[in-house]
Amino acid sequence: MKTRVLAFCSASAALGLLMAGCSGGSNEPAAGGSGNGKDLEVVSFQGGFGIEFFQQAAKEYEAKHPGDHITVTGGPRVWEQLRPRFANGTPPSLTWPGWGMDYWALIYDNQVFPVDDALKTPAYDGKGTWKDTFDPSLLKLGEYKGKQYELPYHYNIMGWWYNPDTFAKHGWTVPKTFKELLDLCPKIKAAGMAPLTYQGKYPDYSIKGFLFPWVISIGGIKAADDAQSLVPGAWKSDAFLQAAKMVKQLRDAGFFEDGASGLSHTQSQTDFLEGKAAMIPCGTWLESEMRKTMPPGAKMAFMLPPVVDGGKGDPSAIMIGIEPWIIPTSGPNHDLAIDFYKYMTSLDKAKQFITQCGTLTAIKGSDQITLPPLLVEPAKLFRESKTVYSIQFDTWYSTLGNESKNAMEALMNGSNTPEQFVDRLEAAAEKVRQDKSKPVHTMTH
Amino acid sequence: MKNRGRTAFIVTYLAPAVLLYGVFVILPVLQAVGYSLFKWSGLSSKKTYVGFDNFKQLFHDDVFWQALLHNAWIFLFGGSAILIVAIAVAHGMQGESRATKALRSVYLFPNIMSLVVVAILWEFVYDPHIGLLTSVMKLFGGGATHRSGAAGIDTSILGSPTQALPAVIVTFVWFAVGFYIMLFSAGIRQIPQEVAEASKLDGAEGLFRFRKITLPLLWSVGRIAVIYLVINTLNVFALVFLMTQGGPDRKTEVMLTYLYEQAFVNSDYGAATALAIANFVIVMAVSGIVLRLTRKDPTGVSH
Repeated sequence: MKTRVLAFCSASAALGLLMAGCSGGSNEPAAGGSGNGKDLEVVSFQGGFGIEFFQQAAKEYEAKHPGDHITVTGGPRVWEQLRPRFANGTPPSLTWPGWGMDYWALIYDNQVFPVDDALKTPAYDGKGTWKDTFDPSLLKLGEYKGKQYELPYHYNIMGWWYNPDTFAKHGWTVPKTFKELLDLCPKIKAAGMAPLTYQGKYPDYSIKGFLFPWVISIGGIKAADDAQSLVPGAWKSDAFLQAAKMVKQLRDAGFFEDGASGLSHTQSQTDFLEGKAAMIPCGTWLESEMRKTMPPGAKMAFMLPPVVDGGKGDPSAIMIGIEPWIIPTSGPNHDLAIDFYKYMTSLDKAKQFITQCGTLTAIKGSDQITLPPLLVEPAKLFRESKTVYSIQFDTWYSTLGNESKNAMEALMNGSNTPEQFVDRLEAAAEKVRQDKSKPVHTMTH
Repeated sequence: MKNRGRTAFIVTYLAPAVLLYGVFVILPVLQAVGYSLFKWSGLSSKKTYVGFDNFKQLFHDDVFWQALLHNAWIFLFGGSAILIVAIAVAHGMQGESRATKALRSVYLFPNIMSLVVVAILWEFVYDPHIGLLTSVMKLFGGGATHRSGAAGIDTSILGSPTQALPAVIVTFVWFAVGFYIMLFSAGIRQIPQEVAEASKLDGAEGLFRFRKITLPLLWSVGRIAVIYLVINTLNVFALVFLMTQGGPDRKTEVMLTYLYEQAFVNSDYGAATALAIANFVIVMAVSGIVLRLTRKDPTGVSH
């Protein structure tokens, strides 16, 4: 969930630390159950999905396993409380630390327990191994050096959104190619709308919504894989340069909403829902994030970013992202943590999660239900896609991630040319390659 | 005998304060100095001693210098604006009429507001669509120096590489100026009546009296104000973090937002503490320089 409510200042960060300091003592699971019952502390990020689902699962698990006691707590910036707990060696047993946690730094420091042995054990439903119950393309994202560290639960699909009513009213067709997009944009402008808006203050949306889809469309998935694997020259390859030029072309033609460079994610998404812009890049969390502020009657539908005519890439390529759970190495009761997570990933619970929280899960077959209407199309595109990929470089190499965001801002506000843009990215990639203290990952398809 | 009793008495009364200060101030600072010599993610107990590498890196880090420069701009432009406005307003608000009392609290208003509220308020002022300032700009046909291509005027102020930092500085001035008005008001009230009256009798009036009498007698208050400004502008964080997060493209990055990035995004606590220490040293050094430069009081009193 990318509920980036950044309405916090240093004071709240400090408060978080203080609270974490206090909770170090009070978070000792209350002595529950009797006999050989075990205690389990679960800490979850509390965003648009809430934590009620996990709390309910804990109650159900306790009922099935008398004596075991599970507490589930959470917060919207829970990683701030978890950081000092990891540093102190007193983390919880199982956690979804949220988007603000540096998962890979934890993994490099051996703070995450590898679950390969557990994955070989039977699934909760008893059919096959636990590993078989996960979608392999999503499980793969949590691997490092042949070991499984992160476990996916839900996943997001990234793409573009449009308002089907508006499109129908004006007789517009959803653009499948970049050329169709360029033909359509003037018509949208003529109708008094901005063709596209974007989350200017959070440039990662533009990296994922514009840059990478077009890199892959132009150069094939290998162009993106090479870049994420830090192959020398990959970030300034022709595919990246062309994709950056496409972004600039849209900008220079005035197809982006006026002022979008200063909009937050919610501001730009509100503009889209209010009909100020016809299309916006965003993930499948869009509805749950905007539900409370959505203007009545606002409609949205998912589409893949238009592909480049004559490009090498697979037109069915689709971008997904996971927000994984981990079992901290120094947390108590690994077995119980694993067993409880197994319960959460059972087919029934996964299906329930989709219905209750409105997002897809990594459990195979969990989408074989009546999906929430907005998930039908992305789920279908995901199933049919021959190229499922994820953006991981920004979390693998945070300095490159930061620089990519800064350079994207500069490209989109016109202060960098596409050539300067790719040079900056390649230079940042080179810096990571030179830094021997952090490993280089490889991504293949 | 009597002396020893006295010493024991003093020690007994000083000990708790010294102890608390030591444990909660001195010790953490020393600890921070220690951390700056290690490569540490802040996520485990695994620390690697790297000597002064973190400082060397910092010294060669363009982002740090860029951030420091932004701090300097905030100090120079924001600080001067605050001093000028504060002294002018304090001078104009002399006397104890009901109006001046009311005004004084109005000026202090932003200061008692939470910084979070201030940041959100000004984000509205700068909002590309409904913003007060952007609306005025549109009225006058733009005024934005950076354009979203051929399309026309980009009204986004906080998203503009040239306008974001000035916009943040304006907000900073708006927020901070009230405190300095208070400071100078108190300073003016402390100017002895005799001096003021004597100068009036001698025919000093208006701007002349302000320049030759009021201003020199505010010297020591002014020094304090400048020291405060040094500390506040070099340690600015929340306002920038909330309004721009250092963006776009680091055009509003300041030392402490970069420190936050190093610690919490890059998990590089060693680099972050090295930056914290550099920040501490810079604040101390600049304060020292300011104190030295302003040592000589024009009224002849030396400080």
